[in-house]
Amino acid sequence: MHTVVAIKQVPDTSEAVDVVEIDTSGKDIKKEALVPKINDWDEYALEEAVQWKQKLGGTVTAVTVGPSEWDDILRRALAMGADMAIRIDEDAAAMDCYTVAKILTALISRLPYNLIMFGAQSEDFGSGQLGCMVAEMLGIPHATLVVSLHVGEGEVRVSRELEGGGLELYTLRLPALLTIQTGINRPRYVSFASIKKAREKELKVTSLSELGLSNEALTPMVRLEKLELTPTGKKAELISGSAEESATKLAMILKDSGVI
Amino acid sequence: MAEILVVAEHRKQSLADVSLEMLTKGRHLADQVSAELLAVVIGKDVNRYGPRLAQWADKVLAVKNDQLEDSQAEPYQKTLAPIIKERKPKLVLIGHSSFGMDLAPALAVDVGAPLATDCTNIAIDNGTITVTRAIYNGKVNALYSFAPSETLIVTGRPGEFLVEEGQKGGSIEEIEYLLDEEFDYKRFEGYIEPEVSEVDITKAEVLIAVGRGIKDKGNIELAEELASALGGVLACSRPVVDYGWLPSGHQVGLSGKTVKPKLYLALGISGAFQHMVGLRGSNMIVAINKDAKAPIFADADYGIVDDILKVIPILTQRINDLKS
Ligand SMILES: Cc1cc2nc3c(=O)[nH]c(=O)nc-3n(C[C@H](O)[C@H](O)[C@H](O)COP(=O)(O)OP(=O)(O)OC[C@H]3O[C@@H](n4cnc5c(N)ncnc54)[C@H](O)[C@@H]3O)c2cc1C
Ligand SMILES: Nc1ncnc2c1ncn2[C@@H]1O[C@H](COP(=O)(O)O)[C@@H](O)[C@H]1O
Repeated sequence: MHTVVAIKQVPDTSEAVDVVEIDTSGKDIKKEALVPKINDWDEYALEEAVQWKQKLGGTVTAVTVGPSEWDDILRRALAMGADMAIRIDEDAAAMDCYTVAKILTALISRLPYNLIMFGAQSEDFGSGQLGCMVAEMLGIPHATLVVSLHVGEGEVRVSRELEGGGLELYTLRLPALLTIQTGINRPRYVSFASIKKAREKELKVTSLSELGLSNEALTPMVRLEKLELTPTGKKAELISGSAEESATKLAMILKDSGVI
Repeated sequence: MAEILVVAEHRKQSLADVSLEMLTKGRHLADQVSAELLAVVIGKDVNRYGPRLAQWADKVLAVKNDQLEDSQAEPYQKTLAPIIKERKPKLVLIGHSSFGMDLAPALAVDVGAPLATDCTNIAIDNGTITVTRAIYNGKVNALYSFAPSETLIVTGRPGEFLVEEGQKGGSIEEIEYLLDEEFDYKRFEGYIEPEVSEVDITKAEVLIAVGRGIKDKGNIELAEELASALGGVLACSRPVVDYGWLPSGHQVGLSGKTVKPKLYLALGISGAFQHMVGLRGSNMIVAINKDAKAPIFADADYGIVDDILKVIPILTQRINDLKS
């Protein structure tokens, strides 16, 4: 079985204390102080693909549209057990979902595949669109927010997540595209040594022209106009002081409000 | 006359809340630009939903399909695509729900319309539509515009647009489902209900909720001690369940439980909307987070900006002191 997994790199903004700032273009944030990482959802997708390869044989190919710094996540994918990695050398951060979807569709349609996996959404922009778009462009069935799957003869059974924790079950004919939700597995630990070793595996870099795509064919349909920092801390009354002091004050507040 | 179309989602005999939110927003926008609001619902018992949707819509298209119990992406897409291509609504509104995420991107590609998902605001100014989205962990708001197009598709963040009961009383047109497609490439096989867990966090008066900031399974103990000092129950955000640190019955949020305690104490939780929608009914929210810019502080009543691993043990002690 041949599985293609689409992955992306994101700046880690969840742990970033006080360092999210808008850059001079007004259309992006300053990334220098932020640690790059693989998109959470994509790590689960890679793990799932590698586990099914171990059961059924075949190949796993990791693909990304991104600049050369994103080779890091491709090496990580190779270290996790992917056989090949392909990067299309473009700055995806400046593109809309439609454009990235068109590029990935052009690439994936040239690869052998039975199953395609995407992350359910990206941590940075959180659109949750790409997988479902690419499936429609390729003309294959899809299921989003998949929390478990079983590959059978010519088909894949999946459960997808609904609100409130209930699940919806579907059987999809292969080839199919799934977007993977967190918690579907426990992604393996990747050591520095294994990433280094993965340098032996093939990491291919390709371009839009090699895929037969022109820049004109990729005019954006959705345009980012401007960014603004979200005003926060407005509502909460902040309890100041050392850990000792603030904990003591909070305990008193809880007592006064009748919780204790 | 220009049209705005709302896609109505239903499951197990009830309309999704987010669809009513989209109808409310759609009504406002339609009134603002003198457009007609159209609601489309597809399924076996569509007549059940018609009158409710007509509260907001000028016109309800109730598409009767005996094969379809609840909302599913494929039958909706194949029904909606020709309707959209023919009527060319200016705007199509869909809830950013599990169903909406399965439907909207494929529908957008199918009809060739620009798409913006998970929007927290939608505005029309001089006939131009712009949307706002919360990105980078809710720390940044982004404003988007669209390339010229007859139709735009927008999905709205659940819980972001408040429902106001509609007074419209529009017309209902029932139409027969005309597709003979069987969708054998994607067969619906049924539902699995959420697991029943030992603890019922939905009934607890005090919830001590831990997030990814707790860092390690071993640290959960600290929160447990605090919970027992307060006579409360442990709750958590999704990553804590994903990592296997707590069972899924403790998860609060969109794909977990909805809670309404007297006190919700959030420890190392950033405040993603998928988490926050589950605790809107809390009486008092207290957040402890080392990042002063964490979005949770916008919703909390009280906040401490500090390391939870430092604060929790002291807090537990102070509470025990106060009790004795
Ligand atoms: C379809 C869908 C459904 C979802 N459903 C849910 C759901 O039901 N419930 C849910 O919770 N999430 C859900 N999510 C995930 C959600 O989007 C967020 O990823 C999640 O809520 C983040 O959890 P968190 O706040 O614990 O982690 P993070 O966002 O990583 O935040 C961790 C926080 O801890 C702080 N921190 C770190 N170390 C410390 C320290 N030592 N002291 C103090 N603070 C510290 C950081 O500053 C940060 O703010 C869903 C996502 C999707 C796509
Ligand atoms: N630049 C990219 N290159 C490859 N895959 C991507 C890229 N951007 C997004 N993806 C994939 O699409 C998923 C959803 O992204 P999004 O629709 O942007 O939220 C991610 O989890 C990845 O699997």
